[in-house]
Amino acid sequence: MLCLGIESTAHTFSCAVIEKKGKNGKILSDVRKIYRPPDGEGIHPREASRHHAEHSPQVLSECLEKANVKIANLDMVSYAAGPGLGPCLRIGAVVARSLASYYDIPVYPVNHALGHIELGKMLTGARDPLVLLVSGGHTMILAFLGKKWRVFGETLDITLGQLLDQIGRHAGFASPCGQKIEELASKSSSYEPLPYVVKGNDVSFSGLFSATKQIMSKGLETACFSLQETAFSMVGEAVERALSFTGKKEFLIVGGVAANKRLSEILQSICKRHNCKFYVSPKEYAGDCGSQISWVGLLESSKKDGARLENTFVRQSWRIDSVEIPY
Amino acid sequence: MGISAILLRLVKKGAEADIYLTTWDKKKSILKIRKRKEYRNEILDNRIRTLRTVREAKMISEVKQFGISTPLVYFVDPKKFEIYLQFIKGRLVRDLSNKMIIKTCEKIGRIVATLHKNGVMHGDLTTSNFILSHNKLVILDFGLSQRTERIEDHAIDLRLFKEVLNSAHVEIVEPSWSSFLKGYGKIIGMQRKEQVVMQVSVIEKRGRYANVV
Repeated sequence: MLCLGIESTAHTFSCAVIEKKGKNGKILSDVRKIYRPPDGEGIHPREASRHHAEHSPQVLSECLEKANVKIANLDMVSYAAGPGLGPCLRIGAVVARSLASYYDIPVYPVNHALGHIELGKMLTGARDPLVLLVSGGHTMILAFLGKKWRVFGETLDITLGQLLDQIGRHAGFASPCGQKIEELASKSSSYEPLPYVVKGNDVSFSGLFSATKQIMSKGLETACFSLQETAFSMVGEAVERALSFTGKKEFLIVGGVAANKRLSEILQSICKRHNCKFYVSPKEYAGDCGSQISWVGLLESSKKDGARLENTFVRQSWRIDSVEIPY
Repeated sequence: MGISAILLRLVKKGAEADIYLTTWDKKKSILKIRKRKEYRNEILDNRIRTLRTVREAKMISEVKQFGISTPLVYFVDPKKFEIYLQFIKGRLVRDLSNKMIIKTCEKIGRIVATLHKNGVMHGDLTTSNFILSHNKLVILDFGLSQRTERIEDHAIDLRLFKEVLNSAHVEIVEPSWSSFLKGYGKIIGMQRKEQVVMQVSVIEKRGRYANVV
């Protein structure tokens, strides 16, 4: 089975082709074009969607070329139908619908968060993990139970990615700012007290955000270090609680912030303490990419038919815990 | 190996603390140690561990005056982050049969309402923090508790409990939740209950990708 996956939930427009044989998947190509807002500014949905619209033909043809596949050879196409920014989502959906109707191939709308998890599982070989999904759009701790991914803990306000980006933008960096913050943090080891808010299994970052802005006068490196230490420890504690509550023996971290080494280090140490296997999504595929969408499409196609064209909507706030998993 | 080491038996490696079975003054006792977390910055780690140890010891005793069953505190050592607690024999609510959990949720609701009525939020309401012991419900783990009268804080307690039902007790979410609310309302009064439940949905809407569109 050959599936083209299209991702366009936020700043990334990406197409990927995966070939599925039995239970195994092979990524034939994965091409991305990322919208970069000006320094110190965040993503503007209209500008991002214009970027996606302008680059979609180029990304698509490059993706097919690299995979050495013709559109006519595709068995199906899947697109990220949510959650994400409406204008951006619609671009991916339009591309998917056009291909599906013109070439008469089945189309699958898939959940973006599910893409992060399923691709992470496929690439690492994790079977039944507790998952931490950390990105610009999500900060969630999930485990699979009774046909659905259940949320064991999440952020009550902004996400970890947003927290890092907003602090970075406040300092005038270009988004996404995670890498820059990690770099600065690694140059300091002086900790300034910041609010640490864990509510049961949930975390809240908004107070931490305001407090970090206030200590920036003490030096950016100190601020970044203290921010990372506090925020990551909060996430660490929430994960630890979920691990001890669920008793899972595998742990998987996925999403853009998974690339952060300090966060990985913290989580690895937690897993060791709980005798739990630690998996992290490969850096290349941790962030948003078409492969995630393609892989979920392939998994779904093993159990159900494609969607009728009139049902290929986008859903901006499509929570992962509302998706039933048939496979 | 010292004598104390022989008497200690690790019962549970919790998220926050290690739980040992031991003796205190010849009585069976639970020793709760908040161990140093290597991954956490030391200043931050010490701040959190001290705060929670002291708070837990204080609150667990204080709430007894509202008629709530908690373990007795035998001894606290905030420098070593240790608390010696009375050993409670019984079963965690989490491990009971579905039918029993639904029934017990009403009692949990009453206990939570009693706490709230007296200006205490628990902060970690899960089904593994309640022990059913000789038909009496004992509540544990006050490390995240707080003195607060705010509706928002009380709603956070309820939301967490709801989240636990939704994730760990999938098959019985509806009856358990309404049983909880029944008990909660009986103690706190209908008007206040409505206010808190309303606030729970406000918090839920604040969450990511809640059904707002």
